[in-house]
Amino acid sequence: MSYDKRGKAFGLHALGVAMALLLVLLAPASAFALTTNKATARPNENGGSGVIGGLATRLTWEGTVEEGEEVSSVTLALPEGGTFDGSTTKITVLEGLSRAQVEGTATPAGTQLSIEFSTPITSGYLLRLEVEGMKFPADGGDVVVGGTYVNQKGEQTLADSKPIATIANTPLQALVASLDEAPWVQAWNSNPFLGMFFKPQLLATAFATLVPGWLLCLLIVVIAYPFAIALGLIFALMKISKHRILRFIATLYINVLRGTPLFLQIYIMFFGLPMMNINIDNNVLGVIVIAINASAYLAEIFRAGIQSIPQGQYEAASSLGMSYFQTMFDIILPQTIRRVIPTVTSDFITSYKDTSLLSSVGVMELMMFAKNLTSVSGNMTPYVAAAIFYLIVTLPLIKAVSIVEERIANSERGGGPRPKGKQAKTAGVAGAKLSELAVHAEARNDADVFAPALNTIPSGLASEV
Amino acid sequence: MSMLSRRQFVQGSSLVAATLLAGCGSSGNSGSGAAAPAADGEYTVVNEGKLTCISNLFFPPFESMNETTGEPEGFDIDVSKSLAEHMGLEVNWLPSQDFDTLVPTIKNGGKADIAIAGMTITDARKAEVDMSDPYVDSNQSIVVKAGSTETADSLNDASKKIAVQGGTTGADWADENLPNAEKKRLSTVIDAMSGVQSGLYDAVVCDLPVSRYQIKMSYSDLQIIEEIPTGEQYGIAVSKDNPGLTAAINKALAEMKEDGSMAAIENEWFGSAL
Repeated sequence: MSYDKRGKAFGLHALGVAMALLLVLLAPASAFALTTNKATARPNENGGSGVIGGLATRLTWEGTVEEGEEVSSVTLALPEGGTFDGSTTKITVLEGLSRAQVEGTATPAGTQLSIEFSTPITSGYLLRLEVEGMKFPADGGDVVVGGTYVNQKGEQTLADSKPIATIANTPLQALVASLDEAPWVQAWNSNPFLGMFFKPQLLATAFATLVPGWLLCLLIVVIAYPFAIALGLIFALMKISKHRILRFIATLYINVLRGTPLFLQIYIMFFGLPMMNINIDNNVLGVIVIAINASAYLAEIFRAGIQSIPQGQYEAASSLGMSYFQTMFDIILPQTIRRVIPTVTSDFITSYKDTSLLSSVGVMELMMFAKNLTSVSGNMTPYVAAAIFYLIVTLPLIKAVSIVEERIANSERGGGPRPKGKQAKTAGVAGAKLSELAVHAEARNDADVFAPALNTIPSGLASEV
Repeated sequence: MSMLSRRQFVQGSSLVAATLLAGCGSSGNSGSGAAAPAADGEYTVVNEGKLTCISNLFFPPFESMNETTGEPEGFDIDVSKSLAEHMGLEVNWLPSQDFDTLVPTIKNGGKADIAIAGMTITDARKAEVDMSDPYVDSNQSIVVKAGSTETADSLNDASKKIAVQGGTTGADWADENLPNAEKKRLSTVIDAMSGVQSGLYDAVVCDLPVSRYQIKMSYSDLQIIEEIPTGEQYGIAVSKDNPGLTAAINKALAEMKEDGSMAAIENEWFGSAL
């Protein structure tokens, strides 16, 4: 029954078109009673997808027993340098999609792994071997798994698998390995809290692998924000417009966007648009969602900022014969911008943090990388590393906001530092905080009474309130 | 060597806020409230008289939430009810949580007794928790949009996005067999399938019984392009500190196979005894 006897050409014919394709791949060898379907390895690179030699991983080998054959044992062989020592093998025999009851024992010996079956495996069955804890040669390269098998006629050579691409150890992995060995690391990790949140090996891995995600977060928010500011300003002006329709559109836009969670907006955009056959790149869509969402909040901030400028200024401008637009762009907006800078910066921080929500729809930003690393390591440390990446940006900005607030406080009072620096400063801060507060309160729409009251107070007096 | 392999889930899941507190205070028995080693045949449960179960409830037909009542339902839920009945307990289901947090939660103890979640028995999981005897067989599948010409080979390309559920054997399969494609780890299979439906991703790799059921019930515009025989088997995860419970569950599973209650559940959810 062996194809060897009848010759390769006839074997090809008998096996039919599908098998012929397989055999073409194995061209020079004779036909096999046990066909090698595939050999793959589980990636064992921390935070990466590479298969690293010299580190334990799992090899999965699959072969099909051909027509009329009986296979009683299989031996897998690795190239020199690889080892099966210390591995455990899970043997699965399948007919189609159903499991067959076949017992087997696996004996690892260096580069060889022999598996004896209690009963021979007959034709049509798929043999699946999962070898956990084996190691590929440490210097990397393409690894071919070969071997032998025993059928009713004796020992035969197994077809070589398609090569498995492996890599030599990376500097990062070497660092992780050295951390693994260090006694202080072991002592550190033995504390459940430190080991779960601040595992040194994972911190090193996370810092290296999270960088692309962090850059994407920054890129998204930095591109989105100018658009958000422009949109926000347009809607702010529409909202204080004299035309009812413009006011209505602006109110609708702002209220719908502020009244629904960003998470939901992301879902609608990411799952909804493609269903309407509008296909936009995920990252671009991320920029759009963040820009639109931020624009609603900015519109309210700008509107509150504009309305916090005392009415007297409009009257003064109009008495000088200025038009509405002249008043707006030459008198009101320049003052507004100064007043809203701290609030806008706070909103920027919020938007930057909100990019994390994009991870739920598969944008490869910071959270996504951290989530991936956590799901393969079962450890919280990648999230802590992500927190540090967020803080690198947000902490300086928070500091900047407080400095700007102070500066504005001084200028709102009508000048820079005074000879009696301390006193003047304190009073000034109080005044600016008050107007700042009014902007916030206006933005939140819950203290409409407060801001007009403030506006009626001459700015000189405001600091005394 | 590979300290960070997924075999070595470090103790406890800090997704449970309690861990944080417990972890700070005591290093010896972090969060293992009800997990004192039991004598042979004895076991402890988190809530007196109840078998407390956790799962990711977005994995039909194994587990899902009833769309009107929000109650958990599915094959695994019925198995858990029958298990509890055979053990003389009441079943108690906790809210859904992400699949990749189930093993750490069970390992940590104190919150739930078992995770029954269409969870394949793997060496990596057995290193963290005890797995019961297998109670159902499963395989993997590749799902794409109906009419798509993708194949397993064409999907193994840097331009392709493969959606998987984080921490599953499907995710492992994609990592290993589609190394060139971009893998997207999502919280649920439903998210993954919706994403393929809307064109966000090119394919999903997930358990075959789930993809078959979902395509039949709700995602009629998707198709399975490859049924991947892996012969994996689902088991129930129990804390290693509670070997008595694992034994009791194995006994109850054997009884369920014996008295036909398992066949009845299979019949209800798969249309035939498996």
